[in-house]
Amino acid sequence: MPEVSIMPAPFRIGAVNVGQSVVIAWMVMAALIVSMFFAKDRIGRFSGAPKGFQALCELIVGGVHGFAIDRIGAGHGSSNRAADIAAPAALTLMTYVFITTVVELFGLPPATEDINCALALGLCAFITVNFTAIRVKGLKGRALAWTRPVAGVAPIRILTDLITPFSMAARLFANVLAGGVIMKLLYAVVPVLLPAAFGAYFSLLHVGIQTFVFGLLPLMYIGEAIE
Amino acid sequence: MPVLGLIAIGAGMYGLAACGVGIGMGISTARAVEALARQPEASGKINSALMIGMIMMETVAIYGLLVSILSIFILGGRV
Repeated sequence: MPEVSIMPAPFRIGAVNVGQSVVIAWMVMAALIVSMFFAKDRIGRFSGAPKGFQALCELIVGGVHGFAIDRIGAGHGSSNRAADIAAPAALTLMTYVFITTVVELFGLPPATEDINCALALGLCAFITVNFTAIRVKGLKGRALAWTRPVAGVAPIRILTDLITPFSMAARLFANVLAGGVIMKLLYAVVPVLLPAAFGAYFSLLHVGIQTFVFGLLPLMYIGEAIE
Repeated sequence: MPVLGLIAIGAGMYGLAACGVGIGMGISTARAVEALARQPEASGKINSALMIGMIMMETVAIYGLLVSILSIFILGGRV
């Protein structure tokens, strides 16, 4: 029977246990920051007619922005302000979730397999949602959103909002963990050929779906909060 | 060992979660296909709404799977 644990794997630097997922997250951050400087250099030389790397960047950024406008809904009095604030945050979250999970392809344990990492990302999403809603609607408008359609539903709506980070964390963590466990079981039963096909799904496509969901949900919550 | 048997039954109960999700997915897909047949030009909107619903349903199935996995590997390992 393969070994499955939800306890974060330990990783010691000297006498301090920092945790394996934290080290993986540091590696991912370092890679992202280094690639950011390269990308910044390229972005400075962008021209009017996009091609190659610039076209890819514009496709991703424009696509996420358009998607955010679609999800949040345009024209809440202040045009697309909510989408302008939330789209970069959502894209950042998606990039981070994708890279920290897809490192599984390189033989590293994904950082999001640790519930602490997933919870941190969930809290980031929660802050994004409330920051955007308060910036667009103001504190009063954000509070008034809870009293719709009638004031009596306010406790339930507040509870729904507060549970958001935990539900997002549990979703991401459970998906990554379930994928990992299924792959481990498959390796134990059929060690050749079959894991390759399933690995492509669980390590790549499944991660893509989870990334999409992790970007989509905050946008939907923002749409709910500022409607 | 009776405790292990109980854990196995509990883990198998995951089938109930999967069953509910399966029914939900069937209903929503059927409705989406009906809507598509009635209004093929709205396929983009129908697809995205269906996708979001599917994601929500899949989450419930994954929660069930998580409980099942944990009861097998964590609880089962303690017996």
